[in-house]
Amino acid sequence: MSLSVLICDDSALARKQVKKSLPDNWDVEVRVASNGLEAINMMREQIANVLFLDLTMPELDGISVLELLKLKRLAEYVIVISADIQPEMQKRVTELGALAFIQKPVNPEKLSNILKEYGLL
Amino acid sequence: MIEITITEEQRDCLQELINVAMGRASDKLARYLQTFVHLQVPHIELVSSAELPQTFAETYGDDNVTLLSQGFYGQDGISGETLLIYRADHTKNIAKILGYAPDEVSEMEQLTDISSILTTTFLNGLAEQIENQIAYSAPRVISSRETSIERHLQDLSFNWELALKVAISYQVTDYEFNCDMLLLIPGVAIENIQQVLNQILEEY
Amino acid sequence: MHSLVVESLNTGVLLIDSDYNLVYFNHFMRSHPALKRPDVLGKNIFEVFPELPKSWMTRKLQGVFMLDSPAFSSWEQRQFLFKMQHTRPITTNSEFMAQNISMLPIKSETGNSEVDHVCITVEDATDVYFYQEKLKLTLAELERSNRTDGLTQIANRRYWEERFNTAFLSAVRYQEELSLILFDLDKFKQINDTYGHQAGDKVLIESAALIQSMLRQHDVFGRYGGEEFAILLPNTQLQGAYELAERIRIAFANQVVNYKTDSIQATLSIGVVSYHSGIRNYDDMLTRADMALYQSKRCGRNKTTIYQAG
Repeated sequence: MSLSVLICDDSALARKQVKKSLPDNWDVEVRVASNGLEAINMMREQIANVLFLDLTMPELDGISVLELLKLKRLAEYVIVISADIQPEMQKRVTELGALAFIQKPVNPEKLSNILKEYGLL
Repeated sequence: MIEITITEEQRDCLQELINVAMGRASDKLARYLQTFVHLQVPHIELVSSAELPQTFAETYGDDNVTLLSQGFYGQDGISGETLLIYRADHTKNIAKILGYAPDEVSEMEQLTDISSILTTTFLNGLAEQIENQIAYSAPRVISSRETSIERHLQDLSFNWELALKVAISYQVTDYEFNCDMLLLIPGVAIENIQQVLNQILEEY
Repeated sequence: MHSLVVESLNTGVLLIDSDYNLVYFNHFMRSHPALKRPDVLGKNIFEVFPELPKSWMTRKLQGVFMLDSPAFSSWEQRQFLFKMQHTRPITTNSEFMAQNISMLPIKSETGNSEVDHVCITVEDATDVYFYQEKLKLTLAELERSNRTDGLTQIANRRYWEERFNTAFLSAVRYQEELSLILFDLDKFKQINDTYGHQAGDKVLIESAALIQSMLRQHDVFGRYGGEEFAILLPNTQLQGAYELAERIRIAFANQVVNYKTDSIQATLSIGVVSYHSGIRNYDDMLTRADMALYQSKRCGRNKTTIYQAG
């Protein structure tokens, strides 16, 4: 399976952090989006099948992105990377179809474990 | 006049650090207070000491507000003050939020207690990320319904010209409580925090 | 070396574990009577110090353990947590040490993620407490003297006008009753000339005291000028104000002030006015009272006149 990755976060720093945390031996194409709207448009064009998604964003927040993706069945693999780690929020994103929830700032080891768990790596 | 500007990259970096700190703080607060704490996306800007009283007047002028301050200082010259601002009609549930028995503590003590909790949980979350350690002074009531914030600030002459201001608002919807937090990092401490931000930016 | 430093600090230091048992206290704390007992280490702090506000402090300590952040208590809110003597029993009058308390999270081993101890520091703030209390008293005294007439000990003109202004605005806004009595000692210059200024002063002092004793709590009695006085009567209609003015006038005329061998009697001329919608501002109301007062003077003094519009 050929994989392509989309990183969606309004913060340039956060996007770089996620990009840098991706496993070195992971051969994927990486694109970025700086808000939820951009991400939805790119997912619609089937640019990526793995999405790393932030929750707190202007324009369209992460929760709305998840809802839309679920509705349009656009999501293949969504991993939420968020600063808001209250248990209620974690429950909500799982219900909306996210595979996993990673706390910010992202920990590379945890990220690669999740990728392994779902056979993406 | 000292020329300090914050680049877009630095602002973005600080915003991300603050988002994460807020996330950690709200998670801890939610566990301690056993209620959901909502924090809004922070607003970051540079303010001059000359315009600070006016800013307060515009934002809180007509309201019955109480202002508390808590100083902090960390390594590498990172220091400043956090100001917590409470509107009168939002103070009645604080004892309940904190889990105090009714009439056990005075209103001023409730305010100092909750201020300290909000300030320290947030700043600890920030400090962890920049591998710093922060110490705090005790929170103090600066102004209350009797003396306005504007009056209080006008009486002061500041020894700094610019401060980095981060505005955060807290909401505890279960208890109809909200308050504003202003993190102010004045003068040379801005340059010190800029250095920290540049280091982080270099890493990525 | 570190422990020597902590031992010799001029600040109290206690260490407790997560069950709130006392693990350590430094030399400063030894002046606390409870710590003179040999077996206090390992005991629960609320047993060792029964004066601690248990439920409040437990909640604060919970916060320190759970949130990994410090908590504070200031003498301004609670004078002390630990009931101790302070070091200045001679030069201050405070009975117990006023304290600023910090409760600091401690992870006993590096790498520990959980807070396992809390360090409590006790700073002596008795000095600050004492001077702050003194300052408060001084400010209160200053404020009182700022609004009091030195001779008669009733409100001075500045303060009386301030109160009148507030009462007037409130009467306008809430359509409340408000009356004003203005009066003047008749032929006061003659009293001064005949009996001397000290006698005149005594007349003023005794008159003020007599009239003050006839007023209600909320009435504001002030010295308006040399021998001119004013009484502000909130929630009072014209008729009530007139009756009071008459009682004052009669009581005053019957009063005898003894000065040395002289017995001095005097009378008052009085003007009364009540707020109504035709009165635009408080100066307006004062002027009308003045006009009524001079009407009393013109009619032969020792008289009360109600201001009549037109």
